[in-house]
Amino acid sequence: MGAFRSVPLVLLTLLASAFSITRASAQESIKIGVLTIRSGPATPVGDDILAGIETATKMSGPLLGRSVELIVEESQWNAQLAVTKATKLVQQNGVAAILGTSTVETLALLPIADRLGVPIVTSNSGNAALTRENCNKWVFRTNGEDLMSAEALRFLISQNPKLASAKWFTLGHDYPFSRLVAGTVKSLKELTYVGDAFAPMDTTDWSPYIARARAAGATAIMVSVTLGTPMLQFLQQATDFGLTKEAQLVAPIGLPDWLVAKLGPLSTSVISAGSWAAWRYEDTEPATKEFNEVFFKMHGRVAGMQAIQAGSAARMLYSAIAKAGSTEPEQIVHALETIEVPTPVGLLKFQEGGRQAMVPLFLGPYEALNPRRYGAEYAQRVEIAFPASKSLTKTAAENGCKPK
Amino acid sequence: MDLNFFFINALNGVVYGAFLLLTSLGLSLVFGLGRVVNFAHGAFYALGGYALVVAMQRLGASYWLALAVAPLPVMLLALAIERSTIYPIRDRPEIYTLLLTFGLSFVLIGGVEYLWGTSTTLVAAPAPYAGTVRLFGNEFPVYRLVAAGISLLMSACVFAVIQFTPIGLRIRAITDDPGMAEALGIDTQSLLTVVFGAAAGLAAFAGGLGAPIFAVHPDMGSGILLDSFLAVILGGLGNLPGTAMGALFVALAKSIGGGYVAEWSTAVLFALVALALIFRPTGLFGRGRVA
Repeated sequence: MGAFRSVPLVLLTLLASAFSITRASAQESIKIGVLTIRSGPATPVGDDILAGIETATKMSGPLLGRSVELIVEESQWNAQLAVTKATKLVQQNGVAAILGTSTVETLALLPIADRLGVPIVTSNSGNAALTRENCNKWVFRTNGEDLMSAEALRFLISQNPKLASAKWFTLGHDYPFSRLVAGTVKSLKELTYVGDAFAPMDTTDWSPYIARARAAGATAIMVSVTLGTPMLQFLQQATDFGLTKEAQLVAPIGLPDWLVAKLGPLSTSVISAGSWAAWRYEDTEPATKEFNEVFFKMHGRVAGMQAIQAGSAARMLYSAIAKAGSTEPEQIVHALETIEVPTPVGLLKFQEGGRQAMVPLFLGPYEALNPRRYGAEYAQRVEIAFPASKSLTKTAAENGCKPK
Repeated sequence: MDLNFFFINALNGVVYGAFLLLTSLGLSLVFGLGRVVNFAHGAFYALGGYALVVAMQRLGASYWLALAVAPLPVMLLALAIERSTIYPIRDRPEIYTLLLTFGLSFVLIGGVEYLWGTSTTLVAAPAPYAGTVRLFGNEFPVYRLVAAGISLLMSACVFAVIQFTPIGLRIRAITDDPGMAEALGIDTQSLLTVVFGAAAGLAAFAGGLGAPIFAVHPDMGSGILLDSFLAVILGGLGNLPGTAMGALFVALAKSIGGGYVAEWSTAVLFALVALALIFRPTGLFGRGRVA
């Protein structure tokens, strides 16, 4: 008899516990992992990426009635560390998705993406295979990939008679992107290609390679030097040697704005063959302007290329979570596949049946600004926003993407 | 590619070689005298660059004044480091000082990053020398020629001190036979400290001189440190004339190699160094003699 009397009490206790657990879950924040570089020479890239995500997070506000909490982990652009940290983010921190990865991290996470089981939205990975033959259900990309950049370059050259008749040379570091860029220029049969020079990765003195470009008679140089200190060194030395007066320097994916700020007037000797983002797109796109203003208020500087891209990726993710009405990973993935969102790089959606965003690439020269805007003295003018419909003409399946 | 191409790359090599000589001499001196393999030498080079930038941007000094004063704080720091960390373990096997200076390099560069961040600072070449001059059919930066000239002048001063001064005589004596030198009353310990500081000063001066060419950033010393080690090993550890030839060899190999075989230039350089050491293990000019 005593046992029967205690049953309602037990039930009441259980109900109260369930209610309090539910209440606690409702108040728990939605955790989003940010995996990017936070130390070393490439720190400015990571700074920009994180700042872009923070801006988009602030602009989005609460999701599903819950606050969004960013959990940042350092990757050092090291594959093994990226795997360790991503695993920690998912298993210990319980993140609903991962943002902020660059090529190194994304490539490292691809083989374990199924085990991680959360969406990974990269905004700084150029490797085309990520969303082509190596595409994965969980991995999405918002920036333009290498082969899209190649099409933008092809278009740039076709529109510019001086470039079309120039003697082309590729000068950069000895790494796969340089070879891809050189291959792209060489594939344009109407162009005169006079040579290339791929310097060792630790090169600080560019004088021999500048001499080589000169000896080949180059009047247009595709610069595939890694971004950061090497690019600063190269552009300074190219200017010192007077090379910028003899040849047009072309940056395949543009220059990040923190680099443009450091270069100052040196940046005007470069034109972009397809930046992943450009803050001056605000002259056309209201979402870019809104993002720029909030970014400047939060961080006191102009939003760089990687910040805008990362902000766009975050915007896509948050919209997908809102559409899914859940943080359940499969539902987020399904929502990502079907949403179309106004972002700072324009109205974005992922390619049907694929994982690549239909994102434009921004073509135009770097010039001085008068007056300054958002504290920037120099910036890229957007002459053409080259649409994805022209850079990504085949379907995802035709490009080899069959997300499992 | 014509002869002009060869000569311009040779000129690039000679210019870089003059520069490399300045950093290599300090490294060679420190080893020759104290058998210390100084991995922190690249950090002193970087500190020189930062001291120059601080003097120019914070104190408003001209480039030349900043270049003259930048090595001083670095030398003082090096003297303090030597007395407090290297001096106590000097009698131990060389591996101890090698590991110590290796660790010191991380501490010093970490300090640089903490104080000044990780970003790169471009330094403009001083005004009268910012232009170009036509050489071998190419425009060539005047400042590089000026910097090379200054490097050679400083290196000549170092050689003159070693060869013609009483302190130079003591240095040569210690390098030849430390035990005998000490028995003859030469204060070897103090001289080692002074030379360590002076070597750091030379590296810092090179860092300031190279700033308008290579920019200033925390990692700026690592590449030149490696090249300096190659020059010193090739020339013979502790052998100053050998180091000079080694610096020229390394610089020419990098420059001419870069011009002709680009992505293979580093491999070619190391292959040549390896070949040289196979046939002459103590360096092309032998080991241990300062002059």
